[in-house]
Amino acid sequence: MNEPTFFLLAFLAYVLSALAYFGSQLFRKERWARAGYVLAGAGFAVHSLALAARTIKSGHAPFTNMYESISFLAWASALAYVLMEGKFKIRKTGPYIMLIVVALMAIASSPLMPKEATPLVPALQSYWLWLHVSVTLLGEAFFAVAFVASLLFLRADARGRKPKGEEGARAAERYDAMSYRAIAVGFPLFTLGGLVFGMIWAYKAWGAYWSWDPKEVWSLITWLVFALYLHTRIVLGWKGRRAALIAVLGFLAALFTYFGVNYLLTGLHSYA
Amino acid sequence: MAIVLFIVLTLASILGTLIPQQRTPAEYQAHYGSLSQVIAGIDLDRLYQSGWFIGLLLLFGLNLVVCSLTRLTPKVRKTFGSAWTVEARELASLKTKESFTRRSGLEAFVAAARAELGRRRFRVAEKSDSGRALLRARKHTLGLFGSDIVHLGVLAILAGGIVSGLGKYRSDVSVSEGQTVPVPSRAISLRLDKFETEYYPAGAVKAWKSTVTVFEGGTPRLTRTIAVNHPLSYKGVVFYQSSYGWDWENPALELRVKKKSDPAFLKTISLTPGGKAAMDDGTEITAVRFLPDFVIGADNEPATRTWEPNNPAVLVEGYRKDARVFSGWIFAKYPEFTHFRDSGEMDLAFELASYKAPQFSVLQAASDPGVPVIWTGCVLLMLGLFFSFYWPPREIKLVLEGREGPCVSVSAGGLTSKGRDRFEEEFASIMAVLRRIS
Repeated sequence: MNEPTFFLLAFLAYVLSALAYFGSQLFRKERWARAGYVLAGAGFAVHSLALAARTIKSGHAPFTNMYESISFLAWASALAYVLMEGKFKIRKTGPYIMLIVVALMAIASSPLMPKEATPLVPALQSYWLWLHVSVTLLGEAFFAVAFVASLLFLRADARGRKPKGEEGARAAERYDAMSYRAIAVGFPLFTLGGLVFGMIWAYKAWGAYWSWDPKEVWSLITWLVFALYLHTRIVLGWKGRRAALIAVLGFLAALFTYFGVNYLLTGLHSYA
Repeated sequence: MAIVLFIVLTLASILGTLIPQQRTPAEYQAHYGSLSQVIAGIDLDRLYQSGWFIGLLLLFGLNLVVCSLTRLTPKVRKTFGSAWTVEARELASLKTKESFTRRSGLEAFVAAARAELGRRRFRVAEKSDSGRALLRARKHTLGLFGSDIVHLGVLAILAGGIVSGLGKYRSDVSVSEGQTVPVPSRAISLRLDKFETEYYPAGAVKAWKSTVTVFEGGTPRLTRTIAVNHPLSYKGVVFYQSSYGWDWENPALELRVKKKSDPAFLKTISLTPGGKAAMDDGTEITAVRFLPDFVIGADNEPATRTWEPNNPAVLVEGYRKDARVFSGWIFAKYPEFTHFRDSGEMDLAFELASYKAPQFSVLQAASDPGVPVIWTGCVLLMLGLFFSFYWPPREIKLVLEGREGPCVSVSAGGLTSKGRDRFEEEFASIMAVLRRIS
C-alpha cells in the first residue's frame, strides 16, 4: 500500500467519524460518539502511515508544499483532538473538530493542489524544516481545538443565560476549561515552533533572525492575541464570553498566518 | 495599560502587513494617490523601523518592567519571607483539606511527617512553640515565577533587538572565482576558490556552493564550503550564500566561422568583447558586445532582459583596411536570426559556438551582537512558559497540636494553582501515610 491509499483510507475514517459524531448528537446515541472517537483515532493512525510513506518516498519532511502542509495540519488537528478528548471527554466538540479535519482533507485532495513531491529548494534543506513547521502546525492544531471549544462555549453560554439553563451553564464551564487547556498546550508549542525555531532558522538561512516579513509579523500578531487571552484571564480574571471571543480571534489570526499570508501577501516565506 | 499596548501593537503590526513596506515614493503615489503623503508623513512605508513603532515597543518593554517589579516584590516577600503562620481555621476553608487525630507524641509525629514530605521533594519550614507545631511544605516554587521568567525573556528579546539595531553589521561581498575581495570594514578578505550549482536529475537547483578561503593579515586562515543553510562563521562574522551570477562583462566567446564558397572551410576563433581576430583573407573580426539574454528594449535598442544566459547574443563586426564591411548580431540559440548589415556579397557565416563567463558568488557578511541576547531571551521565554503551565506550585500546610494521651490532632490543607486533580491524589496519599504514623 502506498501514500495515496493510506491518505484515502484516513480521509474515509475521518468522514465516518464526523458522521458518527453528528449522528450521535442527532439521535442522542452515546455509543455512536464512542465509535466516532475510535474512528478518529483509526484515521489518525492510518494518516500517520500516509505521512511516513510520503517521507520515505520523497526523502524529505512531509510539509513542503500546500498539499503536504494541509494534510499535516489535518493530522495534527486529529492528534490534538484525540488527546484533548481523551482528557476532557466532551464528546460534543467531536463533530465540529472532525468537520475541520474533513474540510482540510478535502482541500488537500482538491485537484487544484499539486500532489507530486518535488525536490527541496536549497533554502528548505535543513533539519529546522522539521522542527519549525511541525511544532508550529501542532500548536495551531491546538488553537483549532480551542476555537471549536470557544464557539461551543458561546452557544452553550447563550443557552445557559435563559431560564432553566443550568445544563447549558454547566456545559459552558467545561468548554471554557477545555479551551483554556488547549491554549495552554498550543501557546508554548506555537511560541517554540513558530517564533523561537523560526528565528533560529531565519538566522541560519537568511542571516537575520527577524525581518518583519509578513508571515513573521502575522505569527507575532497571533502570538500577541493569545498572550492577550492569557493576560486577561490570569490578571483580570476574564473567563467565559470575552475569553472565548479572544480565542476565536486568535485562531482566525493563526489561520490567516497559515493561509492568507501565502495567497494575499508576498514575502520571504513564499515556498508553498 | 498592558492590554491597551497589546491591542495597539497588534493593530500597528497588521497595518504594516497591509501597506507594502520599503517601496519607492513613486509606487506609493501610484497606488495610494494623495494618501501617499500621509504614508510618508508618519513613516508607514517603513513602519517597523519608524520612531513611533520602536517607541511603542519600548513602551511595551517599560510596561513589562514596571508590572513585573510591582508584582514581584510582594510575591518574593510572601514566598521567601520568614513571617508566616497558619491557623487551623484557615485550613478548614480550603478545598483540599483533612483533619484527624493520631495516637503519637508530637515530636515523633513532626519528624515522621517531615520525612514523608521530604521524600516527596517538598521543602519544609517549621515553627513550633509549646505543644504546637506548624509545618509549611512547598514544591515547584519556580512555577510561581513562571510569568516573571517569561517577561524577563521578552525583555531580553526586546533588548537584543535594540542591540542588533545599534550594532548590526551587514555587507554583500561579490567575488568571482579566483578573486580575493576584502570584507568591508573588517580586517579579513575572502577568496572564492570555486562556485558550483548542483542540480537534481529533473533540472531543479539542488544547491549553490561557494568554496572560500578566509584571509587575515594576508595569510589564509581556513577554507570552507558555504551553502544555503550552511553559513561560515569566522571571528564573529558570519558569511551566508546570498546570490550568484555570471560576469557577462568578461565572457570568453568562441565563434565558428564558415565560408559559403568553400564548404570544407571551418575555423573556430576565440574572442573576448573588444578583442580582434584576423582571417586569412585580411578581414579583421571584432566581438563588439555580448548580451546574455538579448531583447530589444523599449527604446528599440538591444539590451539584456536578465543576467541569466537565456538568449546569448554577440554583436560581431568585420573590418577590412579599417573600413567596416559587415556588422550583425549572432544568436547562440537561434542561428537563423543572424542578419548582417553593410554586408554586400558576404562570404562568411558565423555561429556562436560557446560563451563562458566567470561565475561570481554573492556572500553576505554579517555580524550581529544582539543574537546571543536574543537566544538567551528565547530560552528564558520557553522556560518561563514551561514553569507557568506545567510546574504548578504546591503547598501543604499542617497544624499539629499535641494532646494528652499522648496524641496529635492534625489539620492539613493544600493549595495549588493548576493541576488540582493530581495534587489531590498526592495530598491524599500523603495523608494516608500520616494517618499511619504512630
